[in-house]
Amino acid sequence: MKTPYDTATGTIALGLLLTLGLFLIVRWLVLGG
Amino acid sequence: MDQIIDFLLRWIHLFAGIIWVGHNYASVIQRPNFLPPGKEDLGDEQSTVYMALLGREHGTFRYAAIVTWLAGVGMLWQRGLLIDAITMKGYLAVIGMGFWLGTLMLANLWFILWPNQKKVLGFIYAPLDERVRCARITFLSSRTNTMLSIPLLFFMAASQHGAALFA
Repeated sequence: MKTPYDTATGTIALGLLLTLGLFLIVRWLVLGG
Repeated sequence: MDQIIDFLLRWIHLFAGIIWVGHNYASVIQRPNFLPPGKEDLGDEQSTVYMALLGREHGTFRYAAIVTWLAGVGMLWQRGLLIDAITMKGYLAVIGMGFWLGTLMLANLWFILWPNQKKVLGFIYAPLDERVRCARITFLSSRTNTMLSIPLLFFMAASQHGAALFA
């Protein structure tokens, strides 16, 4: 089964998406929940 | 003295981290797509594919990962921030996220990638079909760490220089 990991672009894109998602969560935490 | 220890730990953290994650990045460059090893590759210990796999795995990156993690935890502990970072309190949530991502990557390396890689490389016995299956798992595990390193680096940098992002 193919996954985003099967290309360098997919791996990086997934990493950037996760960065955005985690950034929003951590920002929410830092700003007081 | 505390500042010197903090600096040394930071230097070690960066250096060991580059050795560790550098292996992941090199893998992406050298083998951007998964090429399943053939039985002939895994069956012949002298084959170039087998030797390449063996040579790569025999690097120091598994231990560099431990050094990286310990240096990172050491920095937080030495400054009395470790518990608050782990529990993601206040602005320490930023480096706390880095801690959790790094810990996940270390666990992935030691508990998912390495047990499978031992079979791929023939360090422990496994039938050929199993070794081919494990090669796919090690690929996905390695790529997972490559992917996780992207937010990890973001939070490492943001913990020191990203206050404006969290205001």
